Amino acid sequence: MSDEPIIRLEGVTKRFGSKVAVDGVTIDVPRGRCLGWLGPNGSGKTTLIRCMLGLARTSSGTIEVRGQPMPSGSRLALERVGGIVEEPRFYPYLSGRGNLEVWAGFLGGDSRGRIDAALERVGLAANADRKVKAYSMGMRQRLGVARSLLNDPELLILDEPSNGLDPSGMAAFRQMIRSFVELDGRTVFISSHLLDEVEKIADDIAIVHEGRLVLHGSVEELVAEGRQGLRLRVDDGDRAAAVAGGLPFVTGVDRRGAGELGIAVTTLDDDSAIALTRALVEAGVGVAEVTRERESLEERFLEITGGATADEVKA
Amino acid sequence: MIRATLRTITGRRGSFRVGALVVLASVVVVIGVLVVVHELRPGRNPSIGGQPMLDGVGGAVWALGTVVAILLGALAGSYDVAQGTIRYLVLTGVGRLRLYAARTVAVVVAVLLLLVPALALGLAAVVVLPSAAGDEVTAGEVADVVWTSVVFPLVFALIAMGIGTVLRSNGPAIAISLLFLFAGAPLLALIEAANETAGDLMLIQALDRITGGETSIPVAAAALAVVGWIGLFWAAGLARLLRDEY
Repeated sequence: MSDEPIIRLEGVTKRFGSKVAVDGVTIDVPRGRCLGWLGPNGSGKTTLIRCMLGLARTSSGTIEVRGQPMPSGSRLALERVGGIVEEPRFYPYLSGRGNLEVWAGFLGGDSRGRIDAALERVGLAANADRKVKAYSMGMRQRLGVARSLLNDPELLILDEPSNGLDPSGMAAFRQMIRSFVELDGRTVFISSHLLDEVEKIADDIAIVHEGRLVLHGSVEELVAEGRQGLRLRVDDGDRAAAVAGGLPFVTGVDRRGAGELGIAVTTLDDDSAIALTRALVEAGVGVAEVTRERESLEERFLEITGGATADEVKA
Repeated sequence: MIRATLRTITGRRGSFRVGALVVLASVVVVIGVLVVVHELRPGRNPSIGGQPMLDGVGGAVWALGTVVAILLGALAGSYDVAQGTIRYLVLTGVGRLRLYAARTVAVVVAVLLLLVPALALGLAAVVVLPSAAGDEVTAGEVADVVWTSVVFPLVFALIAMGIGTVLRSNGPAIAISLLFLFAGAPLLALIEAANETAGDLMLIQALDRITGGETSIPVAAAALAVVGWIGLFWAAGLARLLRDEY
């Protein structure tokens, strides 16, 4: 597998009149991983995807997909790229299989021979001969993924792919997406406004807000980088705050109410919890409860996006 | 790719299959009317087949074929954008010019497929059903009727495809394309009143000339005018397809 990033964005900006939908996004997407492109509705996720796929032009910046400049290199770049943008659209008067045959006609190559396997992979083989107008939204989403597989894609770009799926359908969908990465070695770029969904699927997460890329890293890194500390419930809050504030591994003390404190520490481990408790007890502070606190990805996301999208990120 | 595009056009039951049935039904009606009037007054209407049938079939296929072809062409132009499938066609990596070229060829083939059953039935009726002396038809007359019945629907379908591609919405595309057909006559009268040659270069007059009508311009000039009209709308559609973001 090539070490070259499968997607390379350099200062990508897209304006609609005076509105900036995508604002100077620079990122390399490595091969063979799943990147979650996370942001609230209206943050420019779909616009960036449209630019990456040659469906829309950028106002400035450069995009490379599979080493080809976009949109001028669309033909070569898209040869092995599959995607769903916003929602999958089909010819409703044709069957699921009929639709895939139409797209195979445009894709050429071996794509026609992949139709049965693609339908099988997404669990639509039994409904392949029903007209698409009779499909549920979830079935259309799966058919959209099947269409994306026809050209044996190295890169799958899926924009809000779990729209319309019920909880069990979402679980199966997540499993399918992971199998594309782990079993097939494909790269998956998945955009969503649902943090919970992305956190369960992705290896890496990029958070976008008002068109700007504000955070990018692996899920583990982002979780580890969040605030961490200990929550204390004590009989003398003032005294406990003074004692804790004097410890070398404590980086902050937050008084939360009568007898309750949040203690930020450099490293959240057993040693720091024991040392803090011991110091408090030795100073005559009664300790009722010590619990560990780690800022969740959701809290980080809400903090970054101003918390205005709480409903969107709670999956 | 052309076959795939054709499938998306002919698969639409409303515009293709029903359209083909309507054109075919118009021929059946012509046959029925000629049989009835012959049975009622055989002395005055001695022929069922032959010339009366050729005139009736030609008129029916020309008129209804053109209207149905406009419907088909307009939808072929607008449907993919209206339905959102254009985004996924572009995602195949096929260039937009090639997509449009495939659509153009597919529309031509679809219009021919639309007309063939009706023309076949009508021409069979011309030959098989009895005709009186003097009502026989020549091969040249049959060829003229077939040419007229095919060229009008084809030209209007291609123009409607261009209009549909520009408008990107099914209803307005059909409405404007039909308006272009029906508003042509009064507009033409105005233009002809101002300048006869200019009037003869208008689409309907030029089509009339290349299908055997008499006007002030030569057939070659009329043919060029027809190609120009098609090219104008076709190019407008292509420009829209190349420019738009999906």
